[in-house]
Amino acid sequence: MERNQPTIDIRAPLAGFLGWLVPGLGHILIGDRSRGLICFVTITATFWTGVAIGGVGTTIDPHDRTLWFAGQLCAGGNTIVAYMFHETVVSRWTPSDRAAATANWASSEVGVHYTGVAGLLNILVVLDAIARAEVSTVVARIKRRETARSVT
Amino acid sequence: MFLMGLFLTGAELSSRQRLLLMLPLCLSIAIVYKVTRCAHVRDVPLASLTLWITIVLGMFAVGVGLWAAFMIMV
Repeated sequence: MERNQPTIDIRAPLAGFLGWLVPGLGHILIGDRSRGLICFVTITATFWTGVAIGGVGTTIDPHDRTLWFAGQLCAGGNTIVAYMFHETVVSRWTPSDRAAATANWASSEVGVHYTGVAGLLNILVVLDAIARAEVSTVVARIKRRETARSVT
Repeated sequence: MFLMGLFLTGAELSSRQRLLLMLPLCLSIAIVYKVTRCAHVRDVPLASLTLWITIVLGMFAVGVGLWAAFMIMV
């Protein structure tokens, strides 16, 4: 009777959420540390390289670059930190600072592409973490059933 | 403070530097894709290097093709 009851497993959604918040953390949660670490280093480095190239004032801009910001948001915690930094910086900008940032449009375009691609890569990593968590849950369930059968 | 300054203002880039910045972006795409696809992590370096070269050569070929088409048409 107990064997037929569905067990609630939160590993997959938790791996997805943590993987969104910190790239690679979903993989680390399910025990795939080296894979998670590679994802963390690669995505975080790509994101912050983009911010460094374009400058935080023009790269992370939900008002002027709404669609790109949606892509950047997929990088989770990185974007939240960068957005808070952006809000702090832009509120202190003088008109000459704003003009300098606009004149630097080519580097801000490169920065936006880097950060957007980092966000889209994190979607791939989050989906992979969810899939791996589900597979490991199913495998564990099958093993438990086989062990129970062999005991009876 | 130095770290804040690094992210505060954008870098001045020439058109050649902008083109070269495609290389690390393609490398990170290749690494993350291969990390999700490879069964063993030890296979990732070689597989991602192969994919990186393929992407760069593919984009170069597309660029040359578009440039040739432009030269013929104009």
